Amino acid sequence: MVVTEDVELPEFEDLKTKEVKVSAATLITAGPYIGKQCEVINNEFMLCRQEHGDPRPCLALGKQVTACTMEVLRRMKKYCLEEFKQHANCVDKSSGDYSFRHCRKTQSVFDFCMEDRLCVRRPEFGYFTRGRVHSSNSKAPPPPPCPCHPKVEDATPELPECKKPYKKPRFGGRIYWSLE
Amino acid sequence: MADAFSLARKQDLPPPGGYKPIPFKRIPAKTYFSGYAMFAGYIGVTAAAMYLYSINYKQIKRDQIEMRSAKMAIYPMLLAERDRAYLKQLRKNRDAETELMCNVPGWEVGTYYGEPVYKLLPEDALVDPIFHEYYAHSSSWDWHQRAYLKLRS
Repeated sequence: MVVTEDVELPEFEDLKTKEVKVSAATLITAGPYIGKQCEVINNEFMLCRQEHGDPRPCLALGKQVTACTMEVLRRMKKYCLEEFKQHANCVDKSSGDYSFRHCRKTQSVFDFCMEDRLCVRRPEFGYFTRGRVHSSNSKAPPPPPCPCHPKVEDATPELPECKKPYKKPRFGGRIYWSLE
Repeated sequence: MADAFSLARKQDLPPPGGYKPIPFKRIPAKTYFSGYAMFAGYIGVTAAAMYLYSINYKQIKRDQIEMRSAKMAIYPMLLAERDRAYLKQLRKNRDAETELMCNVPGWEVGTYYGEPVYKLLPEDALVDPIFHEYYAHSSSWDWHQRAYLKLRS
């Protein structure tokens, strides 16, 4: 494998956290609410991932993301369990790809409950597909050192400079569009 | 024999009243629509179909956007979970390689007898291993499950 001993990998203990162990249907059904309520931390995490291009510096943020999702689901379970279960069941069993379009009735019941008891509104149509501006306090990672000198010597050094004067060819080039 | 020849001979003649006239005149097929009407009909049917199609198209687009929105909402959580599992597996792989190659003199983990694969990268750079390396120390069943995931989904 390409991972050497010099690469710092986090210990197993550092990777331990309470994972979200729910089904895909449950997650997708709760998706808009999770995305809306965890928007800040999600954006922060994705920014970190994007800027570093490496999972290691973003582990703490990732744990916060998971914790936030857990919290949203926990609150949902506390206040709107029946409505949510009904809707998730419908989403799960109505189609093969968890689409919402078969479940408008259960969705409206669920949305009403969420708004009534948790004062949370379903984000508007296509909210997460839009570009959204996120203002972050975190610092950007240091850019790669530049100018980027080659770190190994050139294996084929250039030819020594030729002293002979170079004349223009008398009859031009063989290829008519070439410059010489 | 002579009697047979003596019978009155009957000449082959046209039927009484003569033959029917030969139908040589061209009889064109009955035209239900004129050319203009057919063009108009084609345009009308196409327009109606396009209208119905556009309704369906918009509906499908709306559903797709809705689903994409829901999936993008949970993507950070899934990515965080995936990162943890990935790093865990990388450490397991490295430990497994260390244990496996401990008897080979001169072997350094992640290199070929001390020669690194990537020479220009900083030492701490995490390079994603290729698929088969990632699954090198797992059971072949797990490898198969992941490699042929598409066959099952």
